[in-house]
Amino acid sequence: MLNFMRSLIRFRNQLYLLAMLLSTAASASEIALNIADIVSPAFSAHGIVLNLPANGSADLHLLQLKVGSREFRNVRLHCGEFTLSSAQLACRKGSLDALPGMSLAFTYDFSAHRVLLSLAAGGGESWRVTGRMGERAWQVFLRMRNAQAGRLSPLLTAELPLPKQGTLNGALRISGNASGAETVNLDMQIMDAGFSDAAGLHAAEKLRGDIKFSARRSGAVWNWQGNVAWQTGELFWQPLYLKGGLTLNASGSFDGKLLDIEQAVADLPEAGRVQLSASWDVKQNALQDGRLRGENLNLASLFETYAKPFFNKGILAESALYGHADVDVRYRNGTLQSLQLGLHDAGIADAAQRFALRGVNSEIDWQADAPGAATIAFAGGQLLGVPIGAAQWRVNMDGLNFDVPLASLPVLDGKLELRNFYMHRAENQTGKPTWYWQFEGGLAPVSMEKLSRAAGWPVMLGKLAGRIPSVSYDGNEINVDGALLFDVFDGTVVATRMKIKDAFGLAPVLSGNLTMRNLDLDLLTRTFSFGNMQGRLDVDVNNLQLQNWQPVRFDARLYSSAGRYPKKISQKAVQNISSLGGAGAAAAIERSYLGFFKNFGYDRIGWSCILRNGVCEMGGIEQNNHGMYAIIEGGGIPAISVMGYNRAVSWSELITRLKRVTQSNVKPVVK
Amino acid sequence: MKTNVVSLFKTNGVGFCKSLVKHLIALFALVAALNAFAAADLEVNTPGVQAVKARMQARHAQLLPYYVSGAVGLNLDGTIVLRDIASVPLAARQGLNMLVDAENQDRDALYAEIANANGHPEWQTEIRSTFAQRWIQHAHGGWWVMSGSGWVQK
Repeated sequence: MLNFMRSLIRFRNQLYLLAMLLSTAASASEIALNIADIVSPAFSAHGIVLNLPANGSADLHLLQLKVGSREFRNVRLHCGEFTLSSAQLACRKGSLDALPGMSLAFTYDFSAHRVLLSLAAGGGESWRVTGRMGERAWQVFLRMRNAQAGRLSPLLTAELPLPKQGTLNGALRISGNASGAETVNLDMQIMDAGFSDAAGLHAAEKLRGDIKFSARRSGAVWNWQGNVAWQTGELFWQPLYLKGGLTLNASGSFDGKLLDIEQAVADLPEAGRVQLSASWDVKQNALQDGRLRGENLNLASLFETYAKPFFNKGILAESALYGHADVDVRYRNGTLQSLQLGLHDAGIADAAQRFALRGVNSEIDWQADAPGAATIAFAGGQLLGVPIGAAQWRVNMDGLNFDVPLASLPVLDGKLELRNFYMHRAENQTGKPTWYWQFEGGLAPVSMEKLSRAAGWPVMLGKLAGRIPSVSYDGNEINVDGALLFDVFDGTVVATRMKIKDAFGLAPVLSGNLTMRNLDLDLLTRTFSFGNMQGRLDVDVNNLQLQNWQPVRFDARLYSSAGRYPKKISQKAVQNISSLGGAGAAAAIERSYLGFFKNFGYDRIGWSCILRNGVCEMGGIEQNNHGMYAIIEGGGIPAISVMGYNRAVSWSELITRLKRVTQSNVKPVVK
Repeated sequence: MKTNVVSLFKTNGVGFCKSLVKHLIALFALVAALNAFAAADLEVNTPGVQAVKARMQARHAQLLPYYVSGAVGLNLDGTIVLRDIASVPLAARQGLNMLVDAENQDRDALYAEIANANGHPEWQTEIRSTFAQRWIQHAHGGWWVMSGSGWVQK
């Protein structure tokens, strides 16, 4: 500011001298002055031409003007009345090409070092700058009345969001001395303001609010405090979208390198009050230190507005939270130091209704460099439609290592038990930080009838129980080490080499082998309304591969279990098996028998399907014969055999037929 | 065309026939080699492809108004681009950002999945550019598509 003043005085001296010299030589005619440059650290002007016509007006043309980092070219100032005396430089009834429709007045008082700049336009708009440039102290005062915010755009760099609409009322006062500015005071009301950057990713509309800011320098340190009362309007600051109703009070200091926010209190609409302190390294553009606290915060609003926009995909991006939380987070030198989180009657629900937890109460006291424990309790929830009961888990924490020795989850009339759950974060082979976890466990008997009803499956009978060997996750793949064992349909299912690639990604691929033994055909056929069959069945499904939970490959074979047991097949089941062959693949059934008997005896059942590229290559009891193959080999009285003719069938067609058979059988046929 | 060939066979005798067949085979082999990719089955239907297509279909209704308004355009590389987010209300901007991201992820997944299903993961680039042309051809009038010389309205 002082430099500006000195430049101005130097300019005055040159100008005055020239004017004096020329006025006598060329009175009553136009005078044109060429001044090469005026240079100061704050501003510079090049190619200055001043025309002074005889009518008392003046035209100033600057080829280039630099104010701070902004550059303007071809600046033209016209003064309707221009006077220059030893006491004062004055421009009245002025106008600037860059500000069409605005009138301008400027005076500089050489002896008192006072400057006055006034800009005015229709609608009562006025920008009035007064300054006093003393040798020791100076001050500048800007008063805005109905000032159009858009006029500030040319003064700002294009990378910043530029003000587009809105009016400003208020005052800015800056004072200082030879060593620079000392105090700054701003008190401004903003009405219906809008701004946007070129990409539209940082923009606001119809902003209305008050800003108060004051700062005082002592030595090299500025102490500041500010207050924002944002009443209405909307703001998009990618990825956040905020609406008015927010107030912020903050104070701190700035030493040119570190911006200290000693205390900031934000009242967030609906979410609650958040307190923040932080140290921001301005040079490095990095957060050095920070703490955020809030009590009884509304999780629904907090999560929806401030957290969810950061989750681009994944389960959290499609979930809603509710309840209340107490939070205290500390951050230092690039890492989280501690987190205290209290959840009160909280809950989470996934939009696709895959899972939900309700009545969550927990106290988590986590520290990066010390062991701690957390208790998580919930009243209930659901997983894939299956209700989950209340439970309480204790989690041991040590930095990024978490373990749960035993977690029990009530599922209907049984329970799922997880043992030795251990989760930790470490770098994977490519050096990327990844979450790893593992557990083992078991499922205490759950009624299949309840489970299948809850999950919306066909109603199955019996009990589901099982043993879960070690299950682990490495950031991409879920691996089951050992055999996953379940009891279903009064038989057993053993799953081995189970693996899910890209488990939580867009295209999960499951692979493994299934070995089923002694399944009760009676329970099985009743479940799927297939027509009753009695007997026992073994099923082998090897090289199974599911993509997006649909089979793309397997080698399946089902056949009668070894041993002695009653073997019966109903007329309806025979018809259904035949119709699976499709219209062109009629089974060789002796139709004359069919009408007379409800049930038939059989000796063996066998069917195989090798699925490749959407086509199922079928076979019967004997694996090797070509052409016709037996699916059911008759035995007893009356006996029936079912033969297959087609070797290849489209898998999707087979599934469609199976659905048609089982669904059409759901309705009883009244004769 | 076929009748012409047959009549040539008759009038010019066996010698010409052999040489013509040789030429035809050579030509076929050449074309086949040059266009090995042409054999790619773009309509291949695996559960992976089905899942991606189902997600894209569900998303299309949400994207449609933005294709029409020109906020979103179709790019030459088989992706979609936010070309004029300033025309979108502030409250809808992040939602649209996410839609475009999700759509492009699915499109990438679709090209990869089709290449894999054809047993030729290395065809992904060609499949992508074929789809890019298709998307642009199928774009409705008024939508914005990228051309060699910048954005144009169909």
